[in-house]
Amino acid sequence: MAGEVVLQMENISKEFPGVKALDRVNFEARAGEVLALMGENGAGKSTLMKVLSGVWPYPSYTGELRVRGELKQFANTREAEHAGIGIIYQELNLIPELDVAENIFLDRQFTTALGRIDWNQMYSETAKLLDSLGIREFKPTDKVKSLTVGKQQMVEIAKALSMKASILVLDEPTSALSDKEVQDLFRIIRKLKADNVCMCYISHKMEEIEQIADRIVVLRDGRTIGDVTPIKEITLDQIIARMVGRDLQDLFPERGGYHRGEKILEVKDMSVDHPTLPGEKRVKPSSFSVYRGEILGIAGLMGAGRTELVEALFGAYPDRAHGSIFLDGKPVRIRSPRDAIDHGIALLTEDRKALGLFLDQSVAFNTTITSLKTISDSFLGTISRTLEARVVGEYVRKLGVKTTNIETIIKTLSGGNQQKVIIGKWLNTEPKVFILDEPTRGIDIGAKVEIYKLLHSLAEQGVAVIMISSELPEILGMSDRILVMCEGRIAGEFMRSAATKEKVMEYATGGIAA
Amino acid sequence: MSTTVEQKTRPVADGRHPAVQFIKDNATLIALLVLCVGLSFADSSFFTARNLSNLARQVTIIGIISIGMTMVILIAGVDLSVGSVAGLAAIVVTMLMQYGLGTWLAVPITLVLVGGIVGLWNGWWIAHYKIPSFIITLGMLTIARGLALTLSGGSSIPVANDSFANLGGEYIGPTTSAVILVLLLGLYFYGLYRSIQQTRKFGAEVRMAEIIPSLIVVLAGIALGFYVFAGYQGIPIPVAIFGVIAFGGMYALEQTRFGRRIYALGGNEEAARLSGIDIFTTKLIVFVTVSVLAALSGILLASRLNGASPNLGTMFELDAIASVVIGGTSLAGGSGTIGGTIIGTLIIGVLNNGMSLLGVSTFYQLIIKGFIIILAVWFDVLQKRR
Repeated sequence: MAGEVVLQMENISKEFPGVKALDRVNFEARAGEVLALMGENGAGKSTLMKVLSGVWPYPSYTGELRVRGELKQFANTREAEHAGIGIIYQELNLIPELDVAENIFLDRQFTTALGRIDWNQMYSETAKLLDSLGIREFKPTDKVKSLTVGKQQMVEIAKALSMKASILVLDEPTSALSDKEVQDLFRIIRKLKADNVCMCYISHKMEEIEQIADRIVVLRDGRTIGDVTPIKEITLDQIIARMVGRDLQDLFPERGGYHRGEKILEVKDMSVDHPTLPGEKRVKPSSFSVYRGEILGIAGLMGAGRTELVEALFGAYPDRAHGSIFLDGKPVRIRSPRDAIDHGIALLTEDRKALGLFLDQSVAFNTTITSLKTISDSFLGTISRTLEARVVGEYVRKLGVKTTNIETIIKTLSGGNQQKVIIGKWLNTEPKVFILDEPTRGIDIGAKVEIYKLLHSLAEQGVAVIMISSELPEILGMSDRILVMCEGRIAGEFMRSAATKEKVMEYATGGIAA
Repeated sequence: MSTTVEQKTRPVADGRHPAVQFIKDNATLIALLVLCVGLSFADSSFFTARNLSNLARQVTIIGIISIGMTMVILIAGVDLSVGSVAGLAAIVVTMLMQYGLGTWLAVPITLVLVGGIVGLWNGWWIAHYKIPSFIITLGMLTIARGLALTLSGGSSIPVANDSFANLGGEYIGPTTSAVILVLLLGLYFYGLYRSIQQTRKFGAEVRMAEIIPSLIVVLAGIALGFYVFAGYQGIPIPVAIFGVIAFGGMYALEQTRFGRRIYALGGNEEAARLSGIDIFTTKLIVFVTVSVLAALSGILLASRLNGASPNLGTMFELDAIASVVIGGTSLAGGSGTIGGTIIGTLIIGVLNNGMSLLGVSTFYQLIIKGFIIILAVWFDVLQKRR
């Protein structure tokens, strides 16, 4: 029945040695609703979901977990699945080499009497399942690796539902999706809502919450802040205030005077070949310039070629990139990231874990890895620990990195602090052009604001900042000038004053003609 | 904003007793000690200066290769060709000597000709074409062995040259050895003092749990050194060479840019590339280093045996890899130390020596060694899982 309370969390507490990860969490969720679960990183959302899904089995936490009024004490994830709880994690758990149906029925395949897999039934069941969800984007026989992240997520959802999930947890489901894919996902969520599924939706993105959620509950420092509140009765500011424990007047700090300096970087006809399809291009010949003291925003949907464009400029694809680059009016040859760094270009990559961090190494190691020459002698390459400590200490202070000391292993820091260390590693190369690809993805609001302030101060110091972002408010709030990319081309360019959300979106989706 | 302690995300030692933690952190070292103590009781000839001196000399052959192998495994690679390269180097150096070249010419030429060229070849294929090192060095394993057999015509090559034989068989006199040991002790204390001072300066806590084991190991090592070397015939030359190489390896990995690049490359190759690290050159240097060290090991063995057989060094790669892995270096790359590798090498060496003393048949020796390797890695995996 719609509106029936199907999930209750009562005084759930969980301690890790020295940390109270959850502290008497209370909330309830109803059938046929989307309950937004919000909170900064480290607020306890993931831990809570692990309790719900049986990853943390019963005696490891205290409090009562009820599904449809019945007290549940899961000993493992399987029991949670049987109780109808399905979780779609941020990192998808699909096997790329298998097809959609094989993934959905992994290890639960229909078999004939002889034990042979009944392929017919498997594919027809999958087709029925996709049909019931209104998914027409892919077929049961498509290989998962050929699907976009958004479609893979739909496979995960279908898989959870094939296990008769009536409570579905979505952990930041849109963090890697394009706006189009987000809308497709929302279509499915609305469908499930109509089918009386209860959904817990974890996200950082306010706009999405406003669009899709019915009620909202905020977690901070392992506690529920305030009650479960209908989305219509709460403002954005109130949500933020609950999340950070203080009012944030404006997410985007006031920009001091913007003085556009001389042109520093000019890119002419940069194009990037498709990695596997000959003749295809990921980025079609594109030209643009950046000026000293300017923040240039690059907007566009996921897959529009933004990342490829800046990575090509950074020398990441010496064999696939074509075009010419001018620094201070002089042509330069950039064939490797090293060349780019030597020319004063820095690139903070989109994927922090895979491309930015050395997870098992210290804060100091991660900070100085791009500029080892500045802390070592030129003969044997011996690193001066004293010099290193001084340099790293300075960045830790300047950027406000919260760490025990500089020898702390970086993977123990929060996302925001990791990002600050990566920023430090690039500042240490003294860049003239600093490219940041989704610099605030997956980090909490407090750290976001600090990063925004830092970008402003860099621009004031005459650095040319290029910022790629999929969040429109961020692009509009931060950029002096905006490039919009669509399907591998630069589709439009706006000065800040002329840009609106609608215009940028129009160009990004290729809907200019209309 | 100042540096604040972030309690939330700091891994705590799971509330375990410090002693338990200490044992876990130094498990391989403790295993080595237990092994040595056990063998001393089981066979009275084990803990004699003569036996230990010989053991040290034997161990260095694999030890030298293991230093290079540590670097290779740190960058998530492997070099299967080291045993064959050692064999090829042994053949080449003895043949050069037979052609009348002096030791001081034949040895460097062999190092460059065998170690350098094989290393460049392996490294080129691995770094430039991005072919897994397993395959390239597996090929080289066969090629180098075949070359050794071809060059020698399949038979052993004797050498009768005192200066060459000294390389693997001679000692640094007891008095000089004593002086060296005292100097090493002084150097260690100086280094310890500097590192404690620096740690304090960085605002980090000085962790006694990390210092004490190293202090014990060094003090015990020096004392043992006095007993074995100064008390017997002095430090065997190969042991001295190994000492220099091990120190060089530790220095390179822990104190230099090169070391940072290796850890970065092994930890996350793509991030390393995007941080401006020259992946190609770093890989090339690592594979050349391990091949040159393998060649050196082969030369020392030939010197010790006063000649070379083309089958010299067979299966050395497995002992070297086992030493590195027992020493706690991750096969996935990015974490591990030379210190661990030395302990690993010693465990294998002591095991070989002890089992021979006890008269265990070589057939059983193989079986036992295999189990020990599996146990060691299993233990390591258990620990890391927390």
